[in-house]
Amino acid sequence: MRRADQIAGAGLLLLGVAFAAWGLRSYTYWGPTGPGSGFFPFWLGLIMAALAAWLLLGAIRSGAPDGRWLPQGRGLHRLVTVLGVTAALIAVLKVVGMALGTVLFLVVILRFVEGLRWTSTLAIALGTAAVNYLIFTYWLRVPFPVGVLGI
Amino acid sequence: MDFLANLSLGFSIAFTPFNLVMAAAGVTLGTLIGALPGVGPVSGVALLLPLTFGMDPVSGIIMLASLYAGSMYGGTITSVLINTPGESASVVTCIDGYQMALKGRAGPALGVAAIGSFVAGTVGVVLLMLMSPILARWALSFGPPETFALMLLGLTTVTGLTGESPLKGYMSMVFGLMLAMVGFDIISGDARYAFGINELLDGVEFLPVAIGLFGLGEVLVGAEQVTDMRILRARYGLRDVMLTANDWARSRFAIARGTVLGFLIGVLPGAGPTIASFLAYTLEKKVSKHPEEFGRGAIEGVAAPESANNAASSAAFVPMLTLGIPGSATTAVMLGGLMMWGLRPGPLLFEKNPDFVWGLIASLYIANVMLLILNIGFIPMFVRALRIPYAVLMPLIIIFCVTGAYSLNNKLWDVGVMLVFGAIGYVMKKLDYSPAALTLALVLGPLAERALRQSLIISDAGIMILFMRPISAVLTLLALAAVAVPAARALRQALRGRAPAAAA
Repeated sequence: MRRADQIAGAGLLLLGVAFAAWGLRSYTYWGPTGPGSGFFPFWLGLIMAALAAWLLLGAIRSGAPDGRWLPQGRGLHRLVTVLGVTAALIAVLKVVGMALGTVLFLVVILRFVEGLRWTSTLAIALGTAAVNYLIFTYWLRVPFPVGVLGI
Repeated sequence: MDFLANLSLGFSIAFTPFNLVMAAAGVTLGTLIGALPGVGPVSGVALLLPLTFGMDPVSGIIMLASLYAGSMYGGTITSVLINTPGESASVVTCIDGYQMALKGRAGPALGVAAIGSFVAGTVGVVLLMLMSPILARWALSFGPPETFALMLLGLTTVTGLTGESPLKGYMSMVFGLMLAMVGFDIISGDARYAFGINELLDGVEFLPVAIGLFGLGEVLVGAEQVTDMRILRARYGLRDVMLTANDWARSRFAIARGTVLGFLIGVLPGAGPTIASFLAYTLEKKVSKHPEEFGRGAIEGVAAPESANNAASSAAFVPMLTLGIPGSATTAVMLGGLMMWGLRPGPLLFEKNPDFVWGLIASLYIANVMLLILNIGFIPMFVRALRIPYAVLMPLIIIFCVTGAYSLNNKLWDVGVMLVFGAIGYVMKKLDYSPAALTLALVLGPLAERALRQSLIISDAGIMILFMRPISAVLTLLALAAVAVPAARALRQALRGRAPAAAA
C-alpha cells in the first residue's frame, strides 16, 4: 500500500493546491459583508494539501514492505470484466434501451463470466428485466431510454 | 399531555395499510440485506432511496428505517451460520456465535440475538422518543456558530472513529466537502468548479455518489473475492431457538448492559452500531465471571453486541432528527434522502413535520415487533436466501444501481457519476479511506459552509466567535479534541518508529 499512498498523496496534494488556487483566483475570498464564495474552498484546498503532504511524507519515509492491494489472477480478471461490462451497458443504454440492456448485461455476466447454464441465465435475465419494468416503468413511471425495441 | 397526543398521531399514521406494508417490506428486505454478505444497511438504504421518490416522505422513511432495523437483526444469521459477518455491526458476533453453532447451539444463538435485538430496539425507541423533543427544543436556540460547531463535531467524530487510518478518514471527509463546493453558491450565485459543464451547475448529486460508493463499490470489492461460503448444517426451527433457563439467566444482564451502552454510543454523532457492538463485547468480557468462555461459545458474547447494535441504530436517529447530524453512515444517507424529499432536517422538523417524526417513531415500534416474529419463526427462509450464489446476486445489484441512479433525474449523467464513484469507492475501501466520511461531508458541506459564513458575518472577532459562545465553544473544543487525539497518537507512533532506526 506504500506505493499507492505515495501516488494518492501526491495526487491529492496537487488537487488541494489547485483547488485552493482556483478558489482564490476565480471567486471572492472576502466581500464587503464577510466571507465570499472563495473563502471555504480556499481553506478546504489548503487542509487537503496539508493532509496529503502528511500522507506522502509518511509513505516515503516508511520502511514497511509494499504489500499488494490489487487482487491478482482470477479476482482481478473478474473485477475488470464486471467494471468494463457495466461501463459498456451505460454507454449503450440510450441505443438498446433499459429492458434489452438489462437482459444483455445479465447474459454476458451470468453466462460468459460466471458460466451459468443457458436456462438459468435466461430465466434470471428475463425475470429481472420484467420485474424492473414493472417497478420502475409501470409503477414509478421512470422514463427509461426505450432504444431499438421500443420498451 | 401533548406527548401522548403526538404518539397517538404517530400510530395513526404508522397503522395505515400502505405504511404497514412499507414497514413489512422494509423489515423483510432489511433482514435479507443484513444477512447477505456484501450488502449492508448503507447499501440497502442507498439502493432503495430511489423507490421512495414517488411516496409521501413518511412512508419513505418508514421503509428505510425498518430496513435499517432489519439489517441489524439479519446480520446475525450469517455470523452464526457461516462465520462471515452479514454486515459490519455483526462482525463481533462471529466470535462466539459461530462457536455456539459448532457446538450445536445455533438455535439459542439466533434466539438470544433476536430477543436481545427486540429488547434493545424497543428500549432504544422509547429513549429516542423521550429524548428527542427535549433535545430539539434546546437546539432551537442555536445560531449559526452553534450550528457550524455541531457540524464540525459530527464530521470530525465520524471521521476519527471509522476506518483504520484517521488521516485517510480526514482526507475522505475533506474530499467530500470539496465535492460539496461544486455548483451554484447559494449566497453569491457563483457557479463554482463547474468548468462550463451544465450538469455540474447543480452540484454533485448526493444519491448517485452514495449508490456508487456503497452499491457498486461494495459489489466490486465482493467481485474480486473468489470464495464460496459454507453454511453450517444446524437446527434453527421455532423450537430450536428457544432459550433454556440457564441461557436466559446468563444473557439477561448482558442484554441490559448492551442496550444501555449501545444507546449511549449511538447517540453520539459519528459513532454508530458497529462501534457499539465492539464496545459491548469488550465490556461483557470484562464484567463476566467466566471470561475464559468468551471465544468458545459464550451466549453473552452474542447477546450483548447484538443488543448494542440495535439500541445504537435506534439511537442514531436522535442526532439525525433533532440536530440534522447523522449518527451513522446509514443515517447519513437517510439524511440525504430527507433533503431530497424536501424536508429540512434539524430542530424545526419536530414543529413543522410532526407527522413525519412521530410516524417514524411509531413505526419503529411496529418494525421491532415484526422483526421479532420474523427472526424467531422465519429463520429457515432467510437461510435459503443465503444459498443464492454471489455470482447471481452481484449483477442484479449492479442493475439496481443503474436503475436507481437513472431514476433520480432521468439522466444518464447520474448513472455515469454512479459508475465513477463505484470505482472510487472500490479504491477507497481497498486503501482504507472512508466512504462514509465522504458521504457525510457531501451532505453536510453546503450547510456547514453557510453556517460558517453567517457566523463570520455576525462576528466582530473573526473565527474566535466559535469560542465566545458557551455551547459553540464546548462543541468546537470537542471537535478539536476528536482531531487532536488521533493526530497526537500518530505523531507519537511516528516518533517512536524513528527512534530505533536512529539508534541503529
